[in-house]
Amino acid sequence: MKKSEPMSESYYYILLCLAKGANHGYGIMQMTEKLSGGDVIIGSGTMYGATGNMMKKGWIREIMSAEGGLERRRLYQLTDSGREALRAEIARLKRMLENAEEV
Amino acid sequence: MSGKYKTSYKAYSAWNYQKEVEDLNKASEQGWQLMKGGCFHSKFVRNPDVRYRYQLDFRKIDDMPRYIETFREQGWEYINSTFNGWHYLRKLYDPSLPEEAYEIFTDRESLQEMNGRWARLAMSGSIILGLFALLYAVRMFRQPDLPALVLLLTLVIESAALLRGMFIMRNPESSRNRKGDGAFLAVFFAVILLGAGGSIVLRTLRPGFSTDQRAGSVDAPVTDNRWIDFKVHYPDNYYLDLDMEAPEAMTFEIIDENGEVVYSVTETSFQEEDIRLKLTRGEYSLSLSYKTGFHAACSME
Repeated sequence: MKKSEPMSESYYYILLCLAKGANHGYGIMQMTEKLSGGDVIIGSGTMYGATGNMMKKGWIREIMSAEGGLERRRLYQLTDSGREALRAEIARLKRMLENAEEV
Repeated sequence: MSGKYKTSYKAYSAWNYQKEVEDLNKASEQGWQLMKGGCFHSKFVRNPDVRYRYQLDFRKIDDMPRYIETFREQGWEYINSTFNGWHYLRKLYDPSLPEEAYEIFTDRESLQEMNGRWARLAMSGSIILGLFALLYAVRMFRQPDLPALVLLLTLVIESAALLRGMFIMRNPESSRNRKGDGAFLAVFFAVILLGAGGSIVLRTLRPGFSTDQRAGSVDAPVTDNRWIDFKVHYPDNYYLDLDMEAPEAMTFEIIDENGEVVYSVTETSFQEEDIRLKLTRGEYSLSLSYKTGFHAACSME
């Protein structure tokens, strides 16, 4: 796989939502909708597939929330390599934007 | 109102799963709620007070609790899975929500991934069937007979049907609102049953024997010693293996029910496999004529 292969919108927003801390699927979905002004929605099938694939890639990992006693929830957390992948994608997008401004 | 439960025997081909989703949504609107979805039949319960929207997913779920939780978070209820990896999901219908709220694949990539998963499976199936077809084509070339021809045609048809399904699944836009899907599936399975079953029946109806005879010495020449009788149920090519050995020329003959010789060989030593005989329906017998001690073995299929 090429290092700078474009990320799907869903992958990108999931990583973005996890940049500031662990979150659960629903939190990621809501945050994505808010960030994108309702443009990007992550449905459950897309969410399950994307998080599963990114766990396989080692970009995110699964943790259980400590608080809440009975209501222990599954949270996703960014790994170092996930942070690196996100940084590379942001750099790629920035470059594309700069190129657009040059033209 | 009739009963509280009903079973639907509607079947859908994989590439037409959106039609199944539409039908489930319609059934829900009419008060029939899916209890258990299946490839060949689905169970419904009567409840006109709720309305659901359905979705189908196709994948190998590696973490079921995570799967159920991911869907539950967005209001989806996991209903059940079929043996071959389709999952039924539903969400309570709320007219104030936008249509997007009932989608489970919200980007092109994930939808293509799902369609691709099935398409890959269909392609492997098609390739396997295609390889078997090739095998039988070689067999047909060397030893043409009806059971092999029937199986070859079956394999080619099913392989083509799967290939077609794969293309439709890869390009869903190419076939909106496909009709006659039930009929297509019925034909698909009928071809499997009739083709594979027919080939097996035709194969078992063939005379199959393998036998051996020898004599150390004989006092006087023997002519037309009936060895074995067999029946041919349908006209076709039949294949004989013959091996005989005697100090003086001996004769092997196949005689039909009218006493006519359909195959004959006179030799002191003869070994041949897969001798092609075009036989019509009827009864036949093998006959040996010899002057001395001999050894003969023959088999037929």
